[in-house]
Parts: sequence; structure tokens; C-alpha cells
Amino acid sequence: MTDFSVLIFSAFALVLLGAAVGVITARNPVHAALFLVLAFFNGAGLWMMLEAEFLSIALVLVYVGAVMVLFLFVVMMLNVDLARLREGFWKHLPLGLGVGLLMVVEMVLVVSSKQFASLGAGMAPAAPGVSNTRELGLLLYTDYVYPFELAAVILLVAIVAAIALTLRRRKDSRYMDPAQQVRVKAADRIRIVAMRAEKDR
Amino acid sequence: MSMFSLYLLVPLAPLAGALLAGLFGKALGRTGSHVVTILGVAISFVASVVIAQDVFAGHLFNGTVYTWMTTEDISLVVGFLIDPLTVTMMLIVTFVSLMVHIYTVGYMHEDPGYQRFFSYISLFTFSMLMLVMSNNFLQLFFGWEAVGLVSYLLIGFWYTRPTAIYANLKAFLVNRVGDLGFLLGIGLILAHFGSLDYATVFARAPLLAQDSIALLSDSPVSLLTVVCILLFIGAMGKSAQMPLHVWLPDSMEGPTPISALIHAATMVTAGIFMVSRMSPLFELSETARTVVLVVGASTALFMAFLGIIQNHIKRVVAYSTLSQLGYMTVALGASAYPVAIFHLGTHAFFKALLFLGAGSVIHAMHHEQDMRNMGGLRKYMPITYVTAVIGSLALAGIPPFAGFFSKDAIIEAVQGSTIQGAGYATFAVLVGVFVTAFYSFRMLFMTFHGKPRMDHHTREHLHESPWVITVPLILLAIPSAVTGYLYIEPMVMGQYFGNAITVLPGNGGLHAMREEWHGVGEFIMHGMMALPFWLALAGIATAAALYLKWTHVPAAIQARFGGLYTLLDHKYYFDRFNEVFFAHGALKVGSAFWHKGDVSVIDGAVNGSAHLVERFSGRLRRIQTGYIYHYAFIMIFGVFILMSLWFVKA
Amino acid sequence: MTFATPYLAPVYPEIFLLTALSAILMLDLFISDSKRFLTYAYSQLALLVTAALLVMGASGHALSTFGGMFIDDPMARTLKLVAIVAVSFVMAYSRTYNQSRGLFRGEFYVLLMFALLGIMVMISANHFLVLYLGLELLSLSMCALIALQRDSARASEAAMKYFVLAALASGLLLYGLSMLYGATGSLFMPMVANAIASGAADPAILVFGLVFVVAGLSFKLGVVPFHMWVPDVYEGSPTAVTLFVSTAPKVAAFAFFMRLLVGALGPMVSDWQSMLVIVAVLSMLLGNVTAIAQTNLKRMLAYSTISHMGFLLLGILSGSLAGYASAMFYMVAYVMMSLGAFGLILMLSRDGFEADQLEDLKGLNKRSPWYAFMMLLVMISMAGIPVSVGFFAKLSVLSAVLDAGMTWLVVFAVMMSLIGAFYYLRVIKLMYMDEPVEESPLVAETDHRVLIGLNALAILVLGIVPQPLIDLCMASIGQSLRG
Repeated sequence: MTDFSVLIFSAFALVLLGAAVGVITARNPVHAALFLVLAFFNGAGLWMMLEAEFLSIALVLVYVGAVMVLFLFVVMMLNVDLARLREGFWKHLPLGLGVGLLMVVEMVLVVSSKQFASLGAGMAPAAPGVSNTRELGLLLYTDYVYPFELAAVILLVAIVAAIALTLRRRKDSRYMDPAQQVRVKAADRIRIVAMRAEKDR
Repeated sequence: MSMFSLYLLVPLAPLAGALLAGLFGKALGRTGSHVVTILGVAISFVASVVIAQDVFAGHLFNGTVYTWMTTEDISLVVGFLIDPLTVTMMLIVTFVSLMVHIYTVGYMHEDPGYQRFFSYISLFTFSMLMLVMSNNFLQLFFGWEAVGLVSYLLIGFWYTRPTAIYANLKAFLVNRVGDLGFLLGIGLILAHFGSLDYATVFARAPLLAQDSIALLSDSPVSLLTVVCILLFIGAMGKSAQMPLHVWLPDSMEGPTPISALIHAATMVTAGIFMVSRMSPLFELSETARTVVLVVGASTALFMAFLGIIQNHIKRVVAYSTLSQLGYMTVALGASAYPVAIFHLGTHAFFKALLFLGAGSVIHAMHHEQDMRNMGGLRKYMPITYVTAVIGSLALAGIPPFAGFFSKDAIIEAVQGSTIQGAGYATFAVLVGVFVTAFYSFRMLFMTFHGKPRMDHHTREHLHESPWVITVPLILLAIPSAVTGYLYIEPMVMGQYFGNAITVLPGNGGLHAMREEWHGVGEFIMHGMMALPFWLALAGIATAAALYLKWTHVPAAIQARFGGLYTLLDHKYYFDRFNEVFFAHGALKVGSAFWHKGDVSVIDGAVNGSAHLVERFSGRLRRIQTGYIYHYAFIMIFGVFILMSLWFVKA
Repeated sequence: MTFATPYLAPVYPEIFLLTALSAILMLDLFISDSKRFLTYAYSQLALLVTAALLVMGASGHALSTFGGMFIDDPMARTLKLVAIVAVSFVMAYSRTYNQSRGLFRGEFYVLLMFALLGIMVMISANHFLVLYLGLELLSLSMCALIALQRDSARASEAAMKYFVLAALASGLLLYGLSMLYGATGSLFMPMVANAIASGAADPAILVFGLVFVVAGLSFKLGVVPFHMWVPDVYEGSPTAVTLFVSTAPKVAAFAFFMRLLVGALGPMVSDWQSMLVIVAVLSMLLGNVTAIAQTNLKRMLAYSTISHMGFLLLGILSGSLAGYASAMFYMVAYVMMSLGAFGLILMLSRDGFEADQLEDLKGLNKRSPWYAFMMLLVMISMAGIPVSVGFFAKLSVLSAVLDAGMTWLVVFAVMMSLIGAFYYLRVIKLMYMDEPVEESPLVAETDHRVLIGLNALAILVLGIVPQPLIDLCMASIGQSLRG
């Protein structure tokens, strides 16, 4: 790795971490969402450095372009009560921070072992002219067709679940049904009720 | 139909009948219930006959029917061992059961628990068949417990009577003592032989004959002796040998057909059958056989004495059963296993006959059981009378009735035996002959002869029992008369049992008897000149003198020997001893433990630990706060702990 | 580039199930509420055909397809069959309950079948990615099912909790799997196992990944300390869904353990064994002890599930074929008992009345002796008292642990079972000794009655003759792991 790429990698990585911390510490949920967008961008940058152009672009398009925009809308419309949401944050912080730090230390100890680093070194860089997207597509529709179909089924479940959980006719709301209106018959419009005559005393 | 499915049919047909009558009794109705159960047992009997012919043509069977469970070392299976010993038992069980089924139709026709009763006795037949057909100890034990269970159910059949419930409980408790020994014996076999299969165990037995184990102290005891004595303790419980006999007289609280089927002909002989089946083991331990001999002889003699003073007709028969079981046990102790089974067979017929005859009398007398209120019944009940005479002659051992052959064979076998206690046993069985003859004819005379002593109302209604009762009596009277003559030669003297029973050379008088055997006729002639026959005649004569001629004498004797009478009346104080020593003692010890141990120590500890668990439980419950971030944190913390543990380890 | 059509025969059951459920999903749109029974009937029919395809395709050896991602071995077939039967019982038991609670909708059945599909995918997974996708399919369907009763705040809360925690668990699992991938260079389980066995992979990273994998697995099984969702979800969900959650997904979780720990990480048995010991001990302790303090029947059963799953882990952690088979036996037994218990609770519930308190069982014997007897059988089996399948399940697991030489663990497990027996027996006491609060006998549809009877009878019969089931488990495990 050249010095320049190390520099860029460090920049992306640092900003990514900073943004991630920002997501959970920002007081304003809109800010937090924006921090998340920043984190995604930096992640995409890192993938770009690994020559995974398709994934990188897809991340930006799907997450930044679609998911996060939707998310921002929801956050802004829902008017979340921040004070209640963050209740207990500072109280539990020392414990969480302690455990978190210890875990980080343990992870670093493991990840810094030599063999892990040597794994990537054996890989040859991709030949120029190979299309990342094409290769991915070929793989996805042949070797990985089974997981691909499963992913499709999961999406189907998501659709069914979303509709089942949200689509409903409220009993108290008034609505029109044009089909019924058209089908109406004369007898339905007027009802003749037989009543006993009442005298007015 | 293949033989194997025929084997299966024998136990399953009664089971099917029992299930149908038990589960669908209401739907089937009374007639339906007795038809299906009688049909089941009849099928079983016919199948047994076919199997018997096959077996005596030389086709034996020993195999697994169903593997219940397999662990690494042992497999628990349901299996059949079909050999001459098994088919003999199968024939006796299914025949007597069939007779009792038919008899019950008449005897119980007024009882509200009619269907239940048929279901029970068919279930009993199934259990008993599984017991005798077993080829392994586990199934033997299950059958053993199953017949016990049905027996308790039937003793307590009239569950509204407190005495029945008491008798039921007593039978249950006493049998627990025997079963504990039995179970320990089976456990020892499993531990030392590594198998529960008869064939395997018997094959290994000679190899372990010299082994010994240390009980309690350091002095080693022969392994096989311990095993055999433990198994015999089981047999003592089921076959009512002293001192575990106390439950059998009380079991007469059950309906009479049950007394005939279970407490005379079949279940109580399970112990005799079991010891015969285990003959390869018992043959290797002389000590165990001595125990068997002495216990059997004591039971034969002392229980016979008790028969003399009983006034209830069924109790006389019950004590005679105890005494006869003692005779069989004596034969076992003298290594004369074929003789024991022979007597078991003849006894099954004549004792079932006597019980059913007694039942017929009781039925006619409107459930009056006291012989002091009977007398002169032979005029009213001729069939019952004749069959009862046949039964009594067989029981007393008068030739040519069945009991003569089997009892004489036992006496000869004991006389020929050389193990310790044989002298005592010889004395006991000889005196027993006199006493047996005396009480059986006392019963006969008191019931059927003399002046009628019942009240006017009962006498008016006296009549012979219906055919469903008399036909079984007649059918049982036939084998009671002839089986001894027909079967003594093949069964005792010949190779009837093949390899099913092992008798080592030099053990017991059976070998000597076989050498002196010169045919049935000779045996009868010889028997009529020997002491037992004259003792029996003397017994009958004494009974005739005391209860037909000088009827005031018994009362005088009773007054003169008050002490002896009281001793007998209290059945040698066995019940009293049990009550005072075990029941009260156990109560005292129990209450001491309760006060000292339970209330202060254990309650303290148990309640304490219960409180502890409860409090702990309440604490743990509070962890479940309901906050999702707590949950998440606990998960993360779990990962952290697992990871850290690994770090500590590495 | 050419694409050869994969060998599809082993996948027929899954393909049929997916096709059928899609068809039912469409069909349901054109069925009016009054004829909703048709949806139910079609769903049962679909399950029946799936099971038939499964049984017909059975062969004594393992088949794999989709480049080895899908494996169809005897263990998979047995487990799938158990799962299908369990789901079928769930549908049958919950029919009347659903009708009275507005849950009798096509979505309920479609989602159940989606979840079943996820379970089947997991059972047959031979590749990390497939395993994960199956897991997500199951989790997502389950989450939707829990939330299906939209007007119930508790159900929504339970669904929310499950969703968030499941996401966390998935994250942990994925992290662990990525570590394993990093260390071994493959996502195919046999290749991972080979790489580990050959010693080429760095043990430090492997164990590091293993920790996260065990955490993710433990969440699925619901064992301590990854159990927190279990009581809340059991209690909050409509009982019909609880019935499902407590049965078929456990089959998947068992398969998950077998494929991942035994299949892929088999060479690391000594590492995961010690982790599972901790998890199992904690589960049995916390599950049994906490259950005592519960007044809510569903919650009590939730804690009892935790302890049962701890017990099941004992079989897996003994690390022998007999141990795996005993765990499988335990799992099947547990599914039967759980179906019985919740099936009876469903029967007790009526319009607008949830029989989920222990109090509601009071004097059941006086009201309906037959159902009280069924519950008695279930409770006896759960407590592990002889002449019930639960007894043999516990026995076989304990003997496997004993063979593995962990005597102290056996002693501990027996002690915990004793504590556990307390609250099962309390249920029996409530049913038989106490006076009923109300006198009316239970009313139930014929199919429900017959199935409950069969269910309880199976518990009893397998308690008397357990050998066929033990043999089946031994054969499934033996043929699958040796071949």
C-alpha cells in the first residue's frame, strides 16, 4: 500500500468512526440521521478503495438515496421526544463504556494477530478491464442462485408483513365504495316501515 | 397360522377381552362383557392346547417378541420361552381361568361391578400368562407385579367394605417385602451376570458358582446363595410362605371366584413356578435349598393346624392352600422340581374345585360363610356335594385321586433328600397329612352332613346352583380325580420337562424315586401300605368321629385345651406381632422421627431451602425489567463474558 | 457463460411449499371472510403435500444440490417432518382461537408457512449464507406473526423487542461468521470444518468468531443470557403465535446448532463445549428457579422452555453421536409437550378471555376431567416423571453427559429438574385439588379434541415404548454425521 492510499484510508476510517459516534451521541435525531449518512459515504469510500465499485455505488444509491431519505422524513414527521428517549443515557454510560472498552481491547488483541493480516496479502489485484458488476451478476445468478432466491422470498415476507400490519380499514372512519354505489337498487334507497298509528292526545 | 402368532395369541386374547370389557363395559352390557372375556380366555386355552402338542412334539421356542429399549450394556425385551414347564403352566392357567370365567357368570350375576370384574380377571389371565411365558427376568418381574396389582384390585373389589380395604392394604404391604427381595435378587443377577435373559444367566451360573460377595461384614458369602435366597423371598411373598403368609387368609375378602383363580390355583403358585424355572441357580446352592425346605415344611405343618379351628368355610380352604403351598415348597427344597409342579397342577384343579364348591354353598346360603350355620346340605345340593367329596378326597391324598400321587411323591422325595433340615421336613409333611385329612373332612361333614343348622328362611330358599356354576365344578372334578394317575409317570418319572428343569445328580430323592419306579399300579399298591395313607385315613376317621358321631366332643376339647386353642385362634400371634412390632413400632419410630427429625431438622432445612429458592426466584424475576436496552445489554455482556473466559483460558 | 439447471429433486418440498403459499396468498384475496375456512384447509393441504413429497423423496443417504449449498440428509428429513407436523398442529389448535380474535386471516397462515420455509431452509443449509438467510426468513415471519394482533399493545411491544434483539443477535452471528470466513476462507461448512481440522486457520480468530456464533445461536434457542426476549414474547403474543414460537422454531434452532457447531465447527468441540456448559447451567438454573415465581401460565412455560433448552444443550455439548441423538430426542419430546400445553391453553381460552393465568386452571378436573388428565400427562412429562416421553428424554440426555465424564453436570441437572418439578406439580395441584372458579365444562371442536388426545397419547405411549423414536434419532444422526 502506498503512503497516499494509507492517508486516504485513515481519513475515511477516522471520519467513519467519528460519524458513528455522532449517530449515538447527537442530541437532535435529524443530526443523528445525517451523521449516519456521513458514515455510509465513508464506508462507500472504503469499498471504492478495495475496487468494489458496484457495492460502493449501490450503498450510496440505496442507503443514502432511498433509505436515509425516508428515515429523515419519518424522524422529522414523528416529532420524537428526545428528553425521554435519552433518559438514563448518562446513568448507564459508565457501565456500557466500561464493557464496550474491554470488548474493544479484546477484539484488538485478536485482530492484531499476524495470520489475519497475511490473508489478504495473497490475493492478486483484479486484472484491468474486468467489470465488477458483470462478475457479481454472473455469480449471483449462477452459483448463488439459491441464496438469491431466498433473499427474494425474504422481500416477499417483508411485503406481506408490512401490508398485513398496516393496511386496515378503521371501523370509525367513513369511506365511499363506488362499486356499491353503482350497484344500488331502488329498493335499497327507500325503506317502507310499517308503524302503528299514534294518536296525539 | 404360524406357531409364533399362536404364541402371541395366547396372552393377547385375554388382554383384548379385558380391554373391551373394561373400556366399553357399559356399551357391551353384561352379556356382551362376559361373552368377550370368556371367548378371549377360551381362545387362549385352545391355543395353549395346540402349543402344548407342538411342544411335546419337540418344538421349543426361545426368542424376542419386541425390543423395548436398548442401552449400551443391556437390552430390555419382551420375549417368550416356550418349553414343557411353560406350557404346563399355560394349560393350568387358561383352563382354571376359563372355568372361573364361566362360574362367575352365575356367581356374580347380581353384582353391580359385573363388567369390571370380568375385565379384571381377564387382565389377570393376561398378566399371569406373560409371567409364565417370559424368557427374561424383567418381563418376569413385570408380570409378577401385574398379577399382584390385579390381585389387590380384586381383594378390594367390594371397596365399600372396610375389611376388604384392610385386607387389600395388608396384601399390598406384605408383598412389598417379598418384592423388595425379588428386585434385589434380579439386581444382583444383572450386576454379576450382565444379562437378564434366562438362557444367558443359566449358562453363566456354573461359572459363578464359586464366586462370593461381601455383605455388611467382611466375611464373604456365596453369590448364588444370596441371589437364590433373595429370589426366594420374592417367592415367599407371592406364594405366602411363613412368615409372609399373613395376607392370604385375609384375601378371602375378595369374591370367591378370585379366591379360586388367584389365591389358590394360579397367582400364589407363581413363586413355585419361579423357583422351578430358576432350578439351574438353586441347584448350585445347597444353603438356599435348605432355607426353602425349612420354610416350606414350617408352612405346611403350622398352617395346616390353623385349618382345624376355622369356622368360615373359605378360611378353611385358604389355610389348606397355605399348607399345600408349603408342600410344594418342600418339594422345591428337596430338588424335586417336577414333583412341585406336578403338585401345583393337581392342587390347582382340586383347590379351585373346593373354592368354587365353597362359593356354590355360599351362593346358595345367601353369602353366609359360617359352617356352624350350615349342615345337611347334601340333600339340597347333590352336585356340589359330590364334587366337594372328590375335592376333599384329592386334598386328603386318598388314592386314586390326584392329590394322592402328588403328595406321596413329595413325601418320598423329602425322605430321599439328604440336605440339612430334611428330617424336620419329613416329620412336618407326615404330620401334615393327618391334619389335612382331618380339617378337609371336618369341613365336608360340617357343611354337608348332620342336622341343618341354618335359619328357616334360608332353608326354604336352598337349591342347587345354576348350571353355569355346576358345570365348572364338574369340569374341575374330572381332572381332580384323574390327573394324578395319568401324569405321574411322564411328569415326575419321565423326561416330560426335558431341559426346562435342571436337577444335578446327587441332589434330592428324585433320582432314587426314578430308580425304584415300577409303574403306576405298583406306586398305588406301595402307597396304600405306607404311613401317609394310613395317616390320612386316620384323619378322616377322627373327623368323622368328632363331627358326625360325638359332636359334643370338639367343644369339650376346646375348653380343655384353651391355651392351645387361643394360640391357634390368634394364628400364632403373627398378626398381633406384626401389628405391635411393625405397625406400632413403625408408628413410634415414625413419630419420633417426625418430631425430632422432620419438624426440627428437615422442615427447617426444606422450608429454609424452599424459602431460599423462592426468594432467589423473586430476585431473578426482577432481572426481567422489560426494558429493551437492559435486554440488549445483558446479551452483549454475555458475549463479553464468554469472550473473556476464553481469554482467561488461553 | 452457461448455467446448468441444478438438481432439483431434493428441493421439491421447499419449492412446492413456496409455490403453494404464494398461491394461497393470492387465493385468499378472493375469499370472503365467511369462507375463510378455505384458506385454512388449503394451508393444511399444502403442508400435507409438502410432507408427502418429503417422505417420498427420502433416501438413506445424503444428497446435496445448488453447488453444495443445500444438503438433504436423514437428519434434515426427520427434522423437517417434525417441523411440518408441528406447524400443522399449530394451525389446527389455533383455528377457533383465531376465529374469535380477528386473527383468522390469510396472512396468519401464509406467514406460518413462510416461517416453516425458513425453518426448512435452515435445516438443510450447508453454507453460512443460506443458513443466515433461512434464519432471517424465519425471524421476520415470526416477528410479523407476533405483531399480527395490531390492537394489542403487549403484542406490539413483544414484536418490537423481538425485532430489535433479533437484529442484534443477527449482527453478532454475522460478525462471528465473518470472522470464521476470514480465518478459513470459505462459507461452505464442510470446507470450514476441513480448514479447521487441517490446522491452517488461526485458532485465536476462530475462537473469537465462535464466541459470537454461540451468542447468535443461543439467542435463537433462547438460553441464558440470550433469553430475555423469551418470557416477554411468550406472554405478549397471542397464544396461537406463542404456540408456534415455542415449537417449530426450536427444531430450526436445534438444526442450527447441529449444522454450525457440530458440522462446521466440529473440530473445535472442546472450545464450544465449555461455552455451552456455562450457557446450559445458567439456563437450567434461571429457567427453573424463576418459573416458580410466575403467576402467568404462559410466562411460566416460557421459563420452563428456557430450562428445557438448557437441558437440550447438555445433549449437544456431550459431543458424541449418542449425545446429539439424545438432544434430538429431547427436542422432539419438547415439541410434543409444548404443543400439548399450549394447545390446552388455547382450548381454555374463549371469546375475550385469555386463559393465561395459573388461576384459570383451578379445579379443571371438576370441569373437564379428560382435559385435566391431558394436562396432567403434559406436566408429568415436562417434569420428567416416568411413564412419559419427557422422562426418557431427560434420561437419555443425562446418560450421554455421564458418558462424556461430566458427573457434576448430571448432578446439577437432576437437582434443577427437582426444583422444576415443583411448579409442574403445582399446576397439577391446582387442577385436581382446588375448587374451580367457574363450573362450565370446556367446549372444543371435534378436530381439536381428537388432536389433543393424540398429542397426549403420544406423550404417554412414547413414554412406555420410547425405542422407535430413540432409534429414529440415532439413525438420523448416525447416517447424517458419518456419511
